[in-house]
Amino acid sequence: MKFFKRTDIIIIISILLISIVSWGIYNYVFAEDRVKAEIYYCSELVETVDLNSGEEKTFSVPQDKDVIFHLYKDGSIAFEESDCPDKVCIHAGRLKTAGQFAACLPNGIVMKIVPYKERNADDVDLVIGN
Amino acid sequence: MITNTRINNLNKTQMLVLTAMIFATALVLAIVENILPPLPIAVPGVKFGLSNIAVMYALFFLGEKQAYTIGILKSVFVFITRGGIAGLLSLSGGILSITVMILLMAIFREKITYLIISIFGAVFHNVGQFIVITVIYTGMNMWAYLPVLLISGLAAGIVTSTLLKFIMPAFQRLA
Repeated sequence: MKFFKRTDIIIIISILLISIVSWGIYNYVFAEDRVKAEIYYCSELVETVDLNSGEEKTFSVPQDKDVIFHLYKDGSIAFEESDCPDKVCIHAGRLKTAGQFAACLPNGIVMKIVPYKERNADDVDLVIGN
Repeated sequence: MITNTRINNLNKTQMLVLTAMIFATALVLAIVENILPPLPIAVPGVKFGLSNIAVMYALFFLGEKQAYTIGILKSVFVFITRGGIAGLLSLSGGILSITVMILLMAIFREKITYLIISIFGAVFHNVGQFIVITVIYTGMNMWAYLPVLLISGLAAGIVTSTLLKFIMPAFQRLA
């Protein structure tokens, strides 16, 4: 068997094409103009909150019951209460637009707002113990 | 059935020892790969799969049974060291990858190249892992991940087969 032939280039290009096409399909079929909040605990995504759902609730992440979030009806989310000494997270206020983020570093919690669709393709969905 | 690059004239003991050594090589490659700094790519867990070099070598030069053995034993090793899910991923990725490579070699005989076999092996290794993940953690979007699987498999396949190519002359002398 040889190592490489001309026809290989065709195969490689078609693989690249398939990936581009499927990425395109994903972007246009599943495209929605929403944002969601991702809550990370110690760099692990532990919760995702859809900000468009119109719910209003107060909740905390199971990993750390002392930090409390509040999701507002208008689609914003904020740190409401925390046991950290500096309360920087609470001062960050309500987050609503993609790209914003707030963190409670003493507790190891990071919350960021991401576009509901675009990030999904290459963002971290799952961290498997590496 | 497979194009004959097999090493001939090996009695059972020699085959056993050689397989074991290749298996050890696969493990060492996996460990070394883990130590290297993580790639600056958004998706973690994307690896070059250097241990695939050893598996491919086994497939080309030793035999299908030997390749499967190494694949399964490697999964057991991953299971012992990194836990149940990782072991399951390694098993599914490895088995699927080896099966696809064998099919490719059987269907295409001389017309296939090492590069394509390696690429398909890497891609289907990712696919196998992805299938297990989808089964365990529902809600992963297939279309979103397909490009990642394909491209990382492509890159990994190219890297591993190139490395294998450089090693091959040394192994040819064994045969």
